[in-house]
Amino acid sequence: MNRSAKIVNSKVAGYSSLITFSVLLIAWIAGFSSRLFAVIRFESIIHEFDPWFNYRATAYMVEHGWHKFLNWFDERAWYPLGRIVGGTVYPGLMITSGSIHYLLHMLNIPVHIRDICVFLAPVFSGLTSISTYLLTKELWSPGAGLFAASFIAIVPGYISRSVAGSYDNEGIAIFALQFTYFLWVRSVKTGSVFWSAAAALSYFYMVSAWGGYVFIINLIPLHVFVLLLMGRYSPRLLTSYSTFYILGLLFSMQIPFVGFQPIRTSEHMAAMGVFVLLLAVATLRHLQSVLSKNEFKKLFLVGGLLAAVIVFIAVVILTVMGVVAPWSGRFYSLWDTGYAKIHIPIIASVSEHQPTTWFSFFFDLHILVCAFPVGLWYCIKQVNDERVFVVLYAISAVYFAGVMVRLMLTLTPVVCMLAGVAFSGLLDVFLQEDSSKRIQGSTNSTLDADDHEESLEKKSLYDKAGKLKHRTKHDATHEGGISSNLKSIVILAVLMILMMFAVHCTWVTSNAYSSPSIVLAFHNSQDGSRNILDDFREAYYWLSQNTADDARIMSWWDYGYQIAGMANRTTLVDNNTWNNSHIALVGKAMSSTEEKSYEIMTSLDVDYVLVIFGGVIGYSGDDINKFLWMVRIAEGEHPKDIKESDFFTDRGEFRVDAEGAPALLNCLMYKLSYYRFGELKLDYRGPSGYDRTRNAVIGNKDFDLTYLEEAYTTEHWLVRIYRVKKPFEFNRPSLKAKERIVPPSNFISRKNLKRRKGFIRNRPIVVKGKRTLK
Amino acid sequence: MKIYWQYICISITCFMLNINADIINKNVERVLDLTSQLVKTTYKISVEDLTGIAVKDYVLIIREPNLSYISAKDGFDNTVKLQKQESENIQEHSYILNFLKDSPKQSIYIETVSTKNLLPHPYEIKQNDKQMVKFVGNLYLYSIYKTITQKTNVILSSSNVLSSTQIKPFSLAANKIFFGPYENVEKLTEEELMIHYENQSPFLTVNSLDRTIEVSHWGNIAVKESIQITHSGAKLKGSFSRYDFQKDGRSGQSAVKSYKTYLPASAFCVYYRDTNGNISTSNMNLQQDYVDLDLRPRFPLFGGWKTQYVLGYNIPAYENLFSAGTDYVLKMRLIDHIHDNMSIEEAVISIILPEGSANIKLDTPYTVNHRQNELMYTYLDTVGRPVISFTKRNLVENHITDFTLKYTFSKVSLLQEPLLVIAFIYIIFIFTIVFLRMDLSITSHSHKE
Repeated sequence: MNRSAKIVNSKVAGYSSLITFSVLLIAWIAGFSSRLFAVIRFESIIHEFDPWFNYRATAYMVEHGWHKFLNWFDERAWYPLGRIVGGTVYPGLMITSGSIHYLLHMLNIPVHIRDICVFLAPVFSGLTSISTYLLTKELWSPGAGLFAASFIAIVPGYISRSVAGSYDNEGIAIFALQFTYFLWVRSVKTGSVFWSAAAALSYFYMVSAWGGYVFIINLIPLHVFVLLLMGRYSPRLLTSYSTFYILGLLFSMQIPFVGFQPIRTSEHMAAMGVFVLLLAVATLRHLQSVLSKNEFKKLFLVGGLLAAVIVFIAVVILTVMGVVAPWSGRFYSLWDTGYAKIHIPIIASVSEHQPTTWFSFFFDLHILVCAFPVGLWYCIKQVNDERVFVVLYAISAVYFAGVMVRLMLTLTPVVCMLAGVAFSGLLDVFLQEDSSKRIQGSTNSTLDADDHEESLEKKSLYDKAGKLKHRTKHDATHEGGISSNLKSIVILAVLMILMMFAVHCTWVTSNAYSSPSIVLAFHNSQDGSRNILDDFREAYYWLSQNTADDARIMSWWDYGYQIAGMANRTTLVDNNTWNNSHIALVGKAMSSTEEKSYEIMTSLDVDYVLVIFGGVIGYSGDDINKFLWMVRIAEGEHPKDIKESDFFTDRGEFRVDAEGAPALLNCLMYKLSYYRFGELKLDYRGPSGYDRTRNAVIGNKDFDLTYLEEAYTTEHWLVRIYRVKKPFEFNRPSLKAKERIVPPSNFISRKNLKRRKGFIRNRPIVVKGKRTLK
Repeated sequence: MKIYWQYICISITCFMLNINADIINKNVERVLDLTSQLVKTTYKISVEDLTGIAVKDYVLIIREPNLSYISAKDGFDNTVKLQKQESENIQEHSYILNFLKDSPKQSIYIETVSTKNLLPHPYEIKQNDKQMVKFVGNLYLYSIYKTITQKTNVILSSSNVLSSTQIKPFSLAANKIFFGPYENVEKLTEEELMIHYENQSPFLTVNSLDRTIEVSHWGNIAVKESIQITHSGAKLKGSFSRYDFQKDGRSGQSAVKSYKTYLPASAFCVYYRDTNGNISTSNMNLQQDYVDLDLRPRFPLFGGWKTQYVLGYNIPAYENLFSAGTDYVLKMRLIDHIHDNMSIEEAVISIILPEGSANIKLDTPYTVNHRQNELMYTYLDTVGRPVISFTKRNLVENHITDFTLKYTFSKVSLLQEPLLVIAFIYIIFIFTIVFLRMDLSITSHSHKE
């Protein structure tokens, strides 16, 4: 009897581990392949803006080695300032792909570093789903874990940052985040130094990978703090947190970019405070066990008050003295959504820093956003130490996601986990009967059933719903009874919803998140053919091939990384917006008249100016549409020279047609965008100089450039490059003799009749006597 | 003075070879093809010995800098061997022809191609200007023999001739100029031939061609060519205007928007990319006996602009790789077509053979500079693949001929790599099985968690 039970047991365990393994594998494959839309539609290429820098840095590291990379001073960025790259990046991403590259080349597998970079995020999405499985398993059940793993593999909120080619910190950081949380929860559960040290190591990886590590170092202390408040203190908590905090602190300070921040900035102070608090609580607990009740009360009151006052005063003094830096601007903007708009236009100008719309919650998470409060409720209802953690995680992530579109990314994993809990709970209820007939306990069979849903759900990416129906019917008939009808209906509905979720995910991924944005594709409405606009690479490649190697290119900061990455030329400003005044100077050059900006450009040694112009093809993300941000940022630094109001019409409109403000129609950006555009007729019937992006005929059509000349314009005019002439190359605009006016000067000759001979300046004048006034 | 010296040199050579001094060039007909960026010349020379002795050797002097290709045939369409004489002057190439058949009357057909002899003049032009080039050569055949009559026909790319040498008799017709016949030109007479005319044909120079041929015995040959190409015509002066370029068909005529590359008919998996990825502007047409690639560089190439790209394709091995037992012969084109009338400054050709190839023997149709052979490591390699590498400068289309490479390779070595993979996976499984059954804990757990 016992023996047979054992055999069955091991058999079931074998099946369940097989199912777990295969579901995770399928999730990995599905996650990987759904991120490949961009590669299949376009090619294996690095996307967008920041990934180009990461790619360039990785390529540099692979070529020159790790130590050279750490000491890399990049003179091709932020001309003439340069940038110390090694000390201003989170190197985790580069190290990860660099070591994969190293490993493969040791095995003589000649994979190009670009391909590693392109496919890094999709590969890591599989690791993320595994770590999500582990975390959810710790929090709830293996079944919920499998749900969560499958959700996170395909959820658009995470795909948006991890499609193939989007080689960015977030791609690996979400894995590190989830894995750290898993290890943390495990260590809280077990109270083992091993797990908390592992959590610290994983945290170290996270710190090296992404600035978002601040989220971990605030959430974990918050967890500890709330546990303390709830009176859930345990020696396990003390062990795990003190190990984690001390090791994590030491590790995080090893990253050059982070340096002493963990002990000097306000963002990290909460962790230290909680550490101190935890130690205090532990001490009190200890004393409580040693001292009598009265003594303890006294000590508690006096000691507690004293400690609180000392800590508070110390923090305030350190902050005032500047030892502890106050919160950074980006951090402020998390609490006060209006802060960035007023104080830091450069942060507000980035679209991913805008507050999230309601629509995008559903767009990125679909049904999960509805299911996740259910999971949250389950967790609150059956609370324990680690579920407190996930509740806090959920609440804080929801808040942050609401503040910034970009932080949707941190919300996504927790939503997947809690939605997994919710679906698992639902199926626990509605598949319970099924399991009682079996020999095994309910949990295992629930797991089993869940896994079936999982694999079916995976299949439903490609298959029709017919198969699903068949299977559930079979289950229902097997059971019989009135409630079974209800059950089958519910299960069917759940399956339908999950199927729709999968369809939605694929649709969103394919339509919204799979464009490399450096290659544009559009469908020809007439013959349905797909056309590719490759103007960006055309221009960058032209720069790389046909300009001097040390040519300096001025453009708006958005394109800095791409120019450095694809054209390998020196830029003035780039997406690492560390120097606001330099950016403002470029903004000023763009928004001044040609003559004034020529002065700025010569002072900055600019050789070429690059502008993006979408008027011919109707590309809305061009420089004229971004122009107001340039003006705003320039105004912030040079309020005397640039005024935003000058660029609006009297009615407060921003328009480029004949009614536009004169300051706009004569500024450099306008001229560079529309140079010779006034002659261009886009179609036979329309007027010449019709801007398709802004649907207007441009106001200033007939002008010539004096200080610059067109060097290259791409096929669809999307990128226009101008060469800045050297001072001897141009003829200053000629003036007719009549129009020549000698500028009035303040100099008045002192040579009156008496002083013809000249005089010595500053000679002491001897006053001989006073003339009486009449 | 220098020429005088050379004359002496040549005379000495003649004496040493015991050449009969009574040889004359009875008739010389020369056709100069200046329609492209190359100077293609064909000579038809009738040689006669006045004393009636059989002409065995003939000294031919080609005074053309950057001579890239020369071939000679006799009256019976047999290739005549050209024996190159060392010369101090790089502008001058002298050859000794050894005829196969003895006869007092011989006729020779010579074909030469030279590069970089059409110089843009003016050197820089604006976008809307026409490209003018200047050719400077010899009006007469420079020969150590007396020439009785000679004619030169020049074919130009357009009828727009600004100026040309005017030594009578000559006549002009459409895009041709006929010089001659000139009678009784003494030996070693020099006369300059200058033509300044409009030539809008693409002036493209391949600065470097890096051609890698990777042979796999699984039935595939991968060819990869990295090419750096420059527009070597008149440089673009001033600004480039996209508006003019799009609106006006006459604008930027000398600019190269696209060109055609012909690949072998069986080529598949063709890619055309650069460091920034795929160049999405190209078309491929499959023809009967070749693959026609219409390559458009990312940007039109104006004078002085350059671009770089990689073109790669695969061809099935059975067309080029022949074997008998362990002996293999690879027979492939040394270089391939890049664009019509191409001119390659320097080509580096590397042939990567499978791991375990030995006794490698290379046979090229013309002399090449061999480079150090290397070893290359790629997927699953252990001892490395032998790489045979050589270079050649100044190549034109006429150089597209086959080389042969003989080597030995034992077929058993093919199994090495699959076995390696199998062994590796096997070890992993064994390791996992053993590892899972080991108890590494230092304390004994009474119960499992």
